[in-house]
Order: sequence, then C-alpha cells, then structure tokens
Amino acid sequence: MIDPITLEVIWNRLISVVDEQAAALIHSSFTTVVREAGDLSAGVFDRAGNMIAQSVTGTPGHINTMAHCVRRYVAPKYPIDSLRPGDTLITNDPWEASGHLFDLTIVSPVFYRGRGVAWFASTCHAVDIGGATMGGDARSLYEEGLAIPLMKLFKAGAPNEELFDIIRANVRVPDQVIGDIHAQEVGNQVGARKLIEMLEEFDLPDIEALSARILDRTEAAVRSAIAALPDGIYRDAIAIDGFDSPLSIACAIEVAGDTLRVDYAGSSPQVERGINVVLNYTHAYTTYTLMAVLAPGIPNNEGAFRPITVSAPPGSILNCSKPAPVSARHLIGHFVSQPLLTALSPLLPQRVLANGSAGLWNTMMDGISADGEEFAYIFFSAGGMGAAHNRDGLSATAFPSGIMGVPVEAIETAAPLLMHRRELRVDSGGPGTFRGGLGQVMELEMLSGAPANHSCMYDRTGSPALGLFGGKPGATGEVQLSDGTRPHPKSHYVLQPGQRVILKLPGGGGFGSPLERDPRRVLADVQAGYISREAAAREYGVRIDAAMTIDAAATAALRKERGA
Amino acid sequence: MPAPSVLLAVDIGGTFTDIVALEENSGRIAVEKLLTSYPDPSAAVLQGLSNLLASAHIPPAAIRYVVHGTTLITNTLIERSGAKTALLATAGFRDAIEIGNEGRYDMYDLALKKPAPLVERRLRFDVPERMLADGRVWQPLDRERLRQICQRLRAEAVEAVAICFLHAYTNPAHELAALEIVRQQLPGVALSASHQVAPGMREYPRASTTIANAYVQPIAERYLERVAAGLSAAGIQAPLNIMLSSGGTTTVAAARAFPIRLVESGPAGGALAGLHWGRLLGESDVLAFDMGGTTAKAALTRAGELAISHQSEVAQAHRFKRGSGLPLMVPMIELIEIGAGGGSIARLNALGLPAVGPQSAGSSPGPASYGLGGSAPTVTDADLILGYLNSDYFAGGDIKLDNNAARNAFADFAAALELPLERAAWGVQQLVNENMAAAARVHAAERGLELRRYCMVATGGAGPAHACGVAQGLGIQRVLIPPAAGVGSAFGFLTAPIAFDFTRSYVARLDALDLRALNAILAELEREGRRIVEAAGLPAAAISARLNIDMRYVGQGYEVRVPFPKQTLTARHIAQLQRLFEKEYRAFYGKLAAGLPIEAVNWRVLISGPPPQVSGADFSAGAEFSDAPVGSRRVCYHPEKSPRATPVYRREQLRPAWSAAGPVIIEEAASTIAVLPGWTAQVAAGGCLLLTREEGA
Repeated sequence: MIDPITLEVIWNRLISVVDEQAAALIHSSFTTVVREAGDLSAGVFDRAGNMIAQSVTGTPGHINTMAHCVRRYVAPKYPIDSLRPGDTLITNDPWEASGHLFDLTIVSPVFYRGRGVAWFASTCHAVDIGGATMGGDARSLYEEGLAIPLMKLFKAGAPNEELFDIIRANVRVPDQVIGDIHAQEVGNQVGARKLIEMLEEFDLPDIEALSARILDRTEAAVRSAIAALPDGIYRDAIAIDGFDSPLSIACAIEVAGDTLRVDYAGSSPQVERGINVVLNYTHAYTTYTLMAVLAPGIPNNEGAFRPITVSAPPGSILNCSKPAPVSARHLIGHFVSQPLLTALSPLLPQRVLANGSAGLWNTMMDGISADGEEFAYIFFSAGGMGAAHNRDGLSATAFPSGIMGVPVEAIETAAPLLMHRRELRVDSGGPGTFRGGLGQVMELEMLSGAPANHSCMYDRTGSPALGLFGGKPGATGEVQLSDGTRPHPKSHYVLQPGQRVILKLPGGGGFGSPLERDPRRVLADVQAGYISREAAAREYGVRIDAAMTIDAAATAALRKERGA
Repeated sequence: MPAPSVLLAVDIGGTFTDIVALEENSGRIAVEKLLTSYPDPSAAVLQGLSNLLASAHIPPAAIRYVVHGTTLITNTLIERSGAKTALLATAGFRDAIEIGNEGRYDMYDLALKKPAPLVERRLRFDVPERMLADGRVWQPLDRERLRQICQRLRAEAVEAVAICFLHAYTNPAHELAALEIVRQQLPGVALSASHQVAPGMREYPRASTTIANAYVQPIAERYLERVAAGLSAAGIQAPLNIMLSSGGTTTVAAARAFPIRLVESGPAGGALAGLHWGRLLGESDVLAFDMGGTTAKAALTRAGELAISHQSEVAQAHRFKRGSGLPLMVPMIELIEIGAGGGSIARLNALGLPAVGPQSAGSSPGPASYGLGGSAPTVTDADLILGYLNSDYFAGGDIKLDNNAARNAFADFAAALELPLERAAWGVQQLVNENMAAAARVHAAERGLELRRYCMVATGGAGPAHACGVAQGLGIQRVLIPPAAGVGSAFGFLTAPIAFDFTRSYVARLDALDLRALNAILAELEREGRRIVEAAGLPAAAISARLNIDMRYVGQGYEVRVPFPKQTLTARHIAQLQRLFEKEYRAFYGKLAAGLPIEAVNWRVLISGPPPQVSGADFSAGAEFSDAPVGSRRVCYHPEKSPRATPVYRREQLRPAWSAAGPVIIEEAASTIAVLPGWTAQVAAGGCLLLTREEGA
C-alpha cells in the first residue's frame, strides 16, 4: 500500500526521469526538427506497456500514438521477459506507430535485479526516410520510403549492423538519421539509469504497484469528468478541402455513464494521395482534443485512454488500409479536432473553441541559389484559432499542432527568398461576440534570379473555419500570384523571377452573434486595424465615423435592422 | 585622512532593500535590511544608507565604490507601468511582435493567454525601407514618410520610440538615419534602436527587447538620477555602478542607455555570491541555490564559470510556464526559477493527490503560522510542525510563529489525505524538495552536466532549512551555507567586475569568412565596450577583452559558444576556430557531425575590469564563542520514526573549525540550518558552514 504522499513524490520523480530522458535526447540530436521545433515524444511504460508518464515536450500525434504502439504492438510481440538487458527495438510501421514512415519509434526495456521492470520509448521525426519527399503526391505507401517492421535495433548492447546498413543505404542524409537514432537510444538509456536510481532510493522492486495506482487514479478522474456530461450522442460533420476534391469528417460522440465512444462513420473513403490517416493517429488527436476540453489538469497516460474508445470505418480517410499513402497525414489528421469541439459545444459551451485554421501552412521552396548551389527550404505557418465564450481567438497560432514558426530573418538568411510583408490579415477573423483569431498575409519573391519550385501544402482555401453559437466563419485561405493566377493549394508550380506569391492564411471562427459584440471592442478592433470600418458596419452593425468614434444612433439602428 | 576603503552594495528587491558595507582592510561587514519603499524605491535606499553609515560609524568619505541592483525594471514590465511607446518597423513587419513564434506554451490549456505586446497595434508604424540578409540595401529609407509618422507620434504624445528594421544587425544604416530624424523631430523622447540594444538575428525577440528597453527607459532615467543625487546629498562621492543581469556592473550612463540589461540583476547577485563562496572553499562546480518566500532560484557553473544565456523572457503571462513571457535577447546569468518557497501553498491536485505551489501566501498574509491572517497550509508551516523551525526565533525573533495556527492550517489537508498531521507536513516538505531537485536535474540533463560532483551553496530565508533535503535528492554530498545568507545578492554585487559586452550577428561559414569585414566589426564592438568600461574609471591597462563566438553546423538550430583567445582573426586562425568548436561540441553532444560545414553566427565581445578583491570578508569578527547548544527540540526526520531530540546551536557562537554530526539545528537571525542525520557540519573558511554527507548515508 502506497500512501498518497509517497505516491505523489515518486510520481513527480518519474515525470522528472522522463523529462531527463527527453532532455538527453534533444541534447544529443542532430536535427533542427527535433531540437528547435520539439518534434519528439518520450515516455515511460510499465511491464505490460502501459504509458505511465510522458515528457512535457512533443505533439499529440507522437505521444498518444507511441502509447498505443508500446502497449498493443511492442509488448505483446516482444514480452519483456523474452528480452535481455541491452536489447532495443525499433519500428516506423505507420499503422502500429505514428501514422507515417518518417517517425521512428525506439523502445528499450529496463532491467533491475535481473528482471524486466519497465520500458522507455521515444518517437522522433527523421529528416528523411527515403522514397518521395514529404508531401501528398505519392499514390501508395511503397513510394513513401523505407518501412521498418518491429525488430531489434540493438541485441544485448550490440548494434544490429545489417539494419543500420539498410537504413544508411535508403536515406538521403544518413549521418543525421543515424545520429538521431543514437540520440533516441541515448535518451532511453538515460531514462533507464535514472529509473534504477529511483527504485534504489525508494526501495521498490519495480513500478507495477505505482503504475496501478497512477493509472487507476487517472482513469477515475477522467471517468468522473465524463460522468458529469449528460448521456447521449452528439454529432458534427465538417467539410475540408481534401487534395483535389472536398472531403468530409463526421463524428458521433456517445456519452454513456462514465464512458465515451467516438465514431467517425460517415467520413470520406481513403484517397489515392498521401493524406490518409491511420486509426492510431486519429485516436491520438481524438484523445488529445477530448482531454484538453474535458480534463485539462489531468495527466495524459494509459489510464486516461481507458474510458475512451475511438473507431472509424476501415478504408475511410481516418482509418485507411494498407498500402494507402500516408506521408502528409497531418493535413487531414489535425482536422479531427474540429468536429469534436463543435459536437461538444452544447454540453460544454464554456470549454470549447470555435473552429480554427487547424492545418499548418507548409511552404517548401527548392531551386538554384545565386551562387549556383541547390537549395531546399521548408517552413511552417499558422492561421487563426477559433474564439471562445469569453475571449477572442488567438491570431496566427498553431492548433492542434504544437509546432513553432520561423522568423523572417532566419528564412532569408537560409534561403534566397525575400519576404515583402508578413502581417496580420485584416478582416480574416470570423465575426462574433468574440472574434476569431486573425490569419496572416505573406508575400514572397525569389532573390536568386532563377525560377524556383514552390510546393504548397495549404488548407482551408475552400472550407472556412465555422463559428459557434451564431459566430461567423473565418476567412478562407488564398494563394495568389502577382499576375492574378491561383496555383493549386496542395501541389507545386514554378515561381518565376520577379513574380510574387501572396499567401493569405485563414482566420478562426467567431463565438456568439457579432451583433452582440460590445461596440467598444469593435471600435478597439478598428483602431488597431484588426477589422475595417466597413466590416464593423457590415458584420457587427457598429457605425464608426471618420473621427474614430462610435455613432451610437446609427449603430442602434443598424443592429435593430439586423434583428439584434 | 586614510584612503577610502569601504565597498557598498545596495539591492532593491520586491519586498526588502538590502545594503552591505565591506571594509576592505579589516574585512569587516555591516548589513542593513529594510522594507522597500513604494512608489519611490530610492527613498528606502537613502534611509537605509543613513542608518547603516551611522550605526557602523562609516564616514561617507570612506566609501570608495558603490554598486546598485534593482528590480525596478522587472517590476515596470510586470506591472506594465512603463512609458507610452511606439514602434517603427520595416513596412510589412510591424506585427512581428504579435505573431511571435506562432506556438502555444501549454499544449492542454485551450484558454492560454499570450503576453500582449508592450506597444498596441495602432502605435506600430510601417516605415518603407528594406535591407537584405547580407546587408545590401533593397529599398532606401523613406525619410519623408518617417517625418510624417513623427508628426503622428507627437500628436499621440508618445514618450518613447523603438526602432526595429529587418536585418539591422547586419547593416544599421537605416536605423541610424531613422534615429537621427526622430531625434530631431521629437526631442526629449527616449529612443532605442534594435542594432544597439539587441543586435542578433530573429526579428521577434530583437523587437521585443528593443521595445522593452524603450518602454522602461524614461522610468529608469528618472530613478537613477534620484539615486545618484541622493548619494551625493549624503556626502558619498564614490562612483555609482549599476548591476547587470550578466553578472557585471556598469556606469549609470550605460545603464540609462540599456536599462533592459538590468532585468533580474538581483538573482544574478545571488549566483555571483554562490560562485564566490564556492571558490573560497576550493569548489569549482557550484550549484547556487536560493530559496525565499515565493520562489527558489538556482544557477549552475560550468568549467568554473556561471553560464550566460542570451535568450530569456520577462513578465510571464503564466508564471513559471516557459514561453509565456516577453522574449529578451540580453546577456543574463542562466537561472532556473521554480515556484517553490516558504510561502508556497499545499493543495490537492485534480487527482486528489497532494501538490505544493506555485501559488504562494507570500509575505502577506504569509504562512498560517505568521498569524497575519493566512490560513492555507504552507511549506513554512510544515517546517514548523516538523520541528525544523523555532517558533520563538524566526527572523531573529522578529516574527513569532504560531504552532497551533500551523497545525490548524494542516488539519483539513491531512484529513483529506487520511493521514496523520505530521505525516502530511512531512509529505509537503518532501514534495517541495523534490520539485526543486527535479528542476535542477532536468536543467543539468539539458546541458549534459553531472550534479553529483557539485557543491551546493544555499542561501535565502528558506534555503538552509531545505538544503540537505534537496541535496540528497540530487546525490550532492557537500552543502555550503555562507555567512549573511539573507543578503547574499547584495554581497554578490561586491564580487562583480565592471564589465559590458556587445554582440553582433554575422552569419558566415568558416571557409567563407570575410576577415576584413569581421575584424572591423570586432574592433567596433571592443571600442564601444572599452568606452563604457573606461568611463567607470578603470585604467585602460586593467581592462581585458574576451571574444566568444556562437557556432554550429550549417543547418542546425542551436549554437555552441566557443571562447576564442584572440581579438583579431587571420587566415591562420580558421583551423583553430574549427578545432575549438569541435572541442566544445564534443563536450556538449558527445560526438561530432564530421564532414558537415561549420558556421559562425554571433560574435560576442566582453570587456571587463578585474573583479574586486573581497576574499577578506569576515562576518565573525567580534563574536563570543560557545560550544554549548542553546537548547534542544524534537525534530521529525522520517515519517515512520518518532521525532528525535536534536541539539540547537546559535551560528554566531560557533568558533572556527567547530564541527558536529547531524542531526543538528543551527539558528541564525535570517535562517535556520537543518543538518540532517547522516550529515556533518563544520565551520570552514570565511565563516562558511560546510555540511558533508557521509558516503552511503
């Protein structure tokens, strides 16, 4: 029997052990994806593969998929008692792990007093995995690079040289890829060492009793959060751009007592482009969204997943079948958060957000720089988030993804690009009592004097982020060249010297009727330039005169006419 | 009349103003502590000075040197009480400070708030001009448009203007021209230009830093003027030096130009004090640990020096959440800050398990045992219940602790956990120690440091009571409790050299360095630094320059700082640069990325005078020694065992080389030292108490 004090002390220690694992990994990593964007996850698991604690870094797509991978795939296939000290396993199976071949999941068992007591695992995005480069163009998984079924990376401490040779022979930048694999292994070993120190210090044989208590407590807390919701089935469906034609994501959330079931029946079938999502990844973003809404203070571990089940029809865009191409699965996967929030909105109007831009805008340019060398550069940008019951949406902020953007000066230093402007996009936030977050506008030109290939991975150019409770949608995104032509938002074209491309990122949806927005807030928005005077009158029914004051009479009349 | 020989340090904290006077020849120290005065903190400084000079019989003319640190700048930013400030930005980029890094600092908090920019959008102006990344002019500065903007600024009665143009760190010509125009058009308005305040790449943190500098400048200027005038009115003719967050001190003129460099100067003093006392006892690996009422701060040395960071943040929207503040690019001693102090409140978390902090009862109402109206269970209350603290001798007897109030505060908490009161209190102490240890462990892991080798120097009101517990959680075997631990920051100021550093971003591969251009930059940085340091009255011969270069493999996102022994580079030095980079890289990452090209990013020139010699400090002069404990009390060290009778000593009565095996409690005016079972205490050099843990204990 562990008393609550000891439980909390040891649990905190366990979280610090996992943070040390992640720190050691980041510290040894060779790539900016891991080091700067924090695109990794790290966690500790009990003997059966239940995730007990995760590090504070990472994205939902990695953490929650890793949790499933270890419990449902690694531990059953390689029971801990069948392994030896110094063994380490690896896989990038999209269906069992995190949804595309780029992510390597590396899992190491920990032995203490001659017995397997725990696992440490991490998932990192490799800079390259062979095959076609990142994007949605592939027609099947086989075009997307090297697949590594679950196997030993180290056997009793000795590297699996054949596997290392195969990886080395298949990727474009072997030193970086192999370097990061070693970094993941270093992180796991640091975690193992610190865990053993912890077991010694607290005189514990293993973490089984601890795990049981942590998972049970977490499960109980999540169950009570679910039980507080009225039973019923709550639905929503949204249209998203898709690759060439629009797709649908439909969800039904069934609350029954203290359990919650999410089913995506009615969502579009899988497509012949690399934007399909495996169920594991759908599950990850579903549980992430639910936890953020229902139980934000409760730790994310296996116990939190137990009361929640997630399903989607096999062969659908959210549960695609092998060998569907999956490389750019985040383009669709990030959107599952959107109908979930809307479906929960009648139950928890004060917890949810209106829909937002959701998908990242990934800009990739490659070509020849002025000195004749080849260059390739990619950066991520964010549109606006949705508004909530008591606040405007955040402008130019990534959600649900956890990535960060890159400063213009860093972009221009690394690539022969000139950014002519990068500013908040006026009138892009969906009108509402609380306004959606603004998107941003970027205007780019090549500096090298040579044409460049511009690969677009842009969403919400067709389907806007919808508002909630009378809030209006945010502006859709736009891709436009200076000559007026509009390139395909998910393909590539050649940007000519002297030509400019203008990217207008989508805004978030509003919350509540815009006619109920406090006219003083509308005025402040006009003064700041977040909205135009025309929009103030047209959308909010607030007349602001040239001297920047509210015309109260005209405003009252306008709002009355609109039925406010 | 003898030559002036007294060094004076003044530290204004949020609650207390501390003043330390050190007589160089005798090593005699005098200390004054009083409440910080609001709204004008200079009032308490002048009052405290006059008290101290009178009680210690120090004639004003005997003072040779004054160093001053203040939280005024930090407070101004937190309270948003700075000047009305406008931003002039490259046309198309005025929103960089609002777009920020596009990230969320807490993945699960859908309601998270981002720090609002210090300049509202309507006061951010587009100025047509453009530099390219390599410093070429793409579009000339539109001077006419700038003059029109100045008219708007005048109409708005703006008090400060920040100028941040893209790539100004590479070519400042447009910022310089704009400075000139704005100065003419708006005389008397405070001006800050990004290439002077924070000349590094990345427009968001550079603009944020430049704006913060402009925003606090008028306040800092008025304040520093008052302090200087007050000192002079008190008859003190010694030069006034201002403590910087980087661990150096500078002149009032430089502080007025770059007030943002004063942020967090108090904690920097604490870290310097840790370094000083550690060195005095021959320790090179030091963990300076300071635990006060609301926060604990820690700093680590690497290779015997305190690490300096150029990326930090201030005025966090969510306290203790990294990424929720305004980013700053100024040199700053790297600090770990944890929301854990004597006033931290124990509570139940979302799972019904115990948690401590980050909410704090602070000093008002304070812990329940203060009897000032606080009713929440705090760390100090737990320490009292467990017997660590003396209810009759806390803060030198100034505060009478109420044992019953502490026990009442813990009653509900313990009942909710279904635990005996003592056990709940013990748990709170364990949890707070573990939280502090965890923060230090992760910080060390991020930097590849092994804490077991370190010596902890513990300061602050609550530090010495928790030092052994935190050390045990880190595997640390040696803990040092310096004298006058309660005024550690002010004392640390006295050990700071006069120093200033300038940085310039100049990104180039090692095999493609333009040495002429580079050497011109380095010479300019050194000239600017020397000008400031010489103005503090140091002879040119006593001033040294050090070059540090931030380097990385091309394509990496993080740099490694490489010290370089020369100030001018020739072609012969390139290979040496590469070797030095590889040495640092290997030390940090364990292995090299052999074959990848290397580039230099930031060039940092540190100009520094010699550190003041304060090794003769003697805090025990004049005390009467006694080997006998002043009392005994029962202290709980283990939840399963009954409390142990523990002898209690007065620190000022312990003679040099005194030692005793724990458990022992040693009390002094500002703190209580708990020597846990398994530890031994002894009086060591300089009046320090050295606590050592027996192997295997």
